[in-house]
Amino acid sequence: MTYSFRKTLLCATVSLAALLAGQSATAQEAVFVLNTSEVGAPTYNPIKANNLNKATTLIFDRLVSQAADLSFHPWLAESWEEAPDGMSWTFKLKQGVTFHNGEPFNAQTVADWLDLFKASENAYMSEAVSKVEVIDDHTVKFVMSRPEPNLLYNLSSSYMSVIEPKSFKELGDNYGVTEVYGTGPFKLDSFTVGQETVLVRNDDYTWGAPLARNQGPAKIAKITFREIAEDSTAFLELKTGGVDMLLGVPADLMAEVKKEANLAVLTMPGQDVYYMPINVTKAPFDDIKVREAAAKAINQEEILASVFGGVGAVANTFLISALPEGNVADSAKIKYDPARAAALLDEAGWKMGDGGVRMKDGQPLKVSLWTQGDSIFRRLTEVVQAQLKAVGIEAEITTFDSSMIRDQYKTGEQQLAVRSYNWDNADIVDWFFGGDRLGYPNVSMFNDPKAEELRKAAMTGAKNMEERVANFTAYHEYVLTQFPMAPIYQPVDAVAYNTERLVLPEKINAPGLASVAIMDMEVKD
Amino acid sequence: MLSYLIRRILMLVPVFLAVSVIIFGILHFIPGDPVDNLLKVGSSPGARAEMEARYGLDRPLPVQYGLWLGKVLQGDLGTAIVARRPVADLIAQALPHSLRLGGLALLFSTVMGVGLGIVAALNRDRWPDRLVMGGVLLGSTLPSFWLGLILMLVFSVWLGWFPVSGARNAAALVLPVLTIGLGGTALVARITRVSMIEAAGRDFVTLLHAKGLSPLRIQLLHVLRHALIPVVTILALRIGWILGGAVTVEVVFARAGLGTLLIKSLGQHDYPVVQACLLMLAMAVMLGTLLGDILQAMMDARVRAAME
Repeated sequence: MTYSFRKTLLCATVSLAALLAGQSATAQEAVFVLNTSEVGAPTYNPIKANNLNKATTLIFDRLVSQAADLSFHPWLAESWEEAPDGMSWTFKLKQGVTFHNGEPFNAQTVADWLDLFKASENAYMSEAVSKVEVIDDHTVKFVMSRPEPNLLYNLSSSYMSVIEPKSFKELGDNYGVTEVYGTGPFKLDSFTVGQETVLVRNDDYTWGAPLARNQGPAKIAKITFREIAEDSTAFLELKTGGVDMLLGVPADLMAEVKKEANLAVLTMPGQDVYYMPINVTKAPFDDIKVREAAAKAINQEEILASVFGGVGAVANTFLISALPEGNVADSAKIKYDPARAAALLDEAGWKMGDGGVRMKDGQPLKVSLWTQGDSIFRRLTEVVQAQLKAVGIEAEITTFDSSMIRDQYKTGEQQLAVRSYNWDNADIVDWFFGGDRLGYPNVSMFNDPKAEELRKAAMTGAKNMEERVANFTAYHEYVLTQFPMAPIYQPVDAVAYNTERLVLPEKINAPGLASVAIMDMEVKD
Repeated sequence: MLSYLIRRILMLVPVFLAVSVIIFGILHFIPGDPVDNLLKVGSSPGARAEMEARYGLDRPLPVQYGLWLGKVLQGDLGTAIVARRPVADLIAQALPHSLRLGGLALLFSTVMGVGLGIVAALNRDRWPDRLVMGGVLLGSTLPSFWLGLILMLVFSVWLGWFPVSGARNAAALVLPVLTIGLGGTALVARITRVSMIEAAGRDFVTLLHAKGLSPLRIQLLHVLRHALIPVVTILALRIGWILGGAVTVEVVFARAGLGTLLIKSLGQHDYPVVQACLLMLAMAVMLGTLLGDILQAMMDARVRAAME
């Protein structure tokens, strides 16, 4: 069955169906639906997991919290100090914190946890920490093998949730499945993989991140996280009152949600960027003029308005707007400029021919444009195709299955593509444009000596955050001026909720709707 | 009988091997690999090679196949690459959900199917027959994905009788059981009807009529007993499909189970999990077929005679 048919079906429901109360939970109990991308996460073991869901952020706390502007703030670490040479970090830990199983949280816990972490598959996140010294009961010192200004970012990641080391060792593979102990505002009550997770409030909790108004205990007593892979099923659950909130709303369903009187959508800045990689090794894009022309043919404003209904923001750099490394020189930002695109193509020898397609040496300017099967990509790619056509580039669209397209990129045969990524750190530039990751992730096949130098400085050459930001900004800026891609669009993160059931905080000072927002959330009686 | 059984079971060995080669082969020829789902932004460029070596993905395919099969034969399904948990654990968590759903659906389709088949056969070419056969045609052609959504709309959204999805109580089982069961009902009803009509035309039935037994008694006691032989065979075959039939339905109704696990793992190219799930589904079909054959042999005097 095609997606559009299912959508029609849903529209029909919306107009015909009578609203029913359904099975609503009792006071201070709420049912949330996890984002489809988090369905099937097999464990709550942050050390071992490859995929963690939102409920993880309620079971565990982290040393460091991150605000909406991506700055770092205390959490289990009350304060920290970085040595001037970047070779050590000293963390003062909060006192009086206990795990769900009664074990105390202290400096030794942090040392034991990091030992376990360094032996795991996720160890790359703590790779620059050579050892952890316990200074006193509530002070730890991380001794570094090299300066790592990105340490705070890693410590704020849910993979670096602080686990309780004793039960972790005792439970083995069952840690995170049958039992799990953190210091978070909620305790695990039950977990059925692929089905649901029930959390109950930790009544002793008083050490919430300062970004929330409420530091604990949480106001909601019990939260059930349901896993629903089908967006239409999740929407029907929300509509009939079976659940109170969807933690992810696809753009296609946004309008349906807004039609319902008792439902509302809350949007927050997202962490996705849509962009058009340009393969710098494939003619005609081995010519930087043609690359710049193609990049400047993309009308970001028009795409925002026509494809995404004005929700979200245009992208003029490769990074999400919240990142300071996105503050590049205005001249390096990639913006729609059809006159410049036409002039560059003329300069490169591609003269406008019959039928609106440019020609050079008797060859038309025809290129391939790859995309993935999801409906939003198909729609976006068609608009990109039309915009390229407007400057005389004829792009032929090829659609691949989203789980298989990476292997296609590895062939290096692509010319243009439309894709997106989800990340909130500047090291994404290294990931997609590093000369040693050609094909995938480096879809642009970009391998430039100067970029490699700047990349090295950005990745490992900075002693502190200020230097890291400066180095990454320089690296990012240089990459932009070589046009290995055209940035297109930044979507929002959207949640949909039942306004008769939930009161959401007015301001959420966090990068997404997770622990900080849920601490301030209330269920209506 | 015993030699037949042994022969029949021995025949499963080459089938099993062929199935395992096909499963392994198809999966590994699908573009993409699990390491893409493991590599994280910020990991070093050498991480790929390291991970491929760790999971043995850098070895030639026949070697990988041999290692996998060797372990499976020893009862070791391995460890999931992307999910990073023992595959046996993942399956043990999922299987009971699928068995409950599939078992109830089989029960439903048997009771409904045999009942409707009898009604249709007793009223051959009259309106109850036409109604049942019309329903059968509809039931066997509707895709379960679509049927599931329709049932959800009618019974959950409009009428509010059952929860939309999930597995929190018995009421949540009704719609998924119906969705899977209706297709099976159609099949069973059709076979029951045809084989009852066929059995009713046999000589012994004429004899029973001549002896003066009541027609209903003849139909329900004697004809039905003969007619049920192919029905039982079909049901045994359906046992194998219990698990397979639930795959899409589990996803639509957001239920945990083998189908949900399979689809998730397939998207991530988590080879050990997908291989184990497919192997389970294939084994279920193989054992169902075996059971069908054995039951048929035991019930049917002609087959028994042919074997001796």
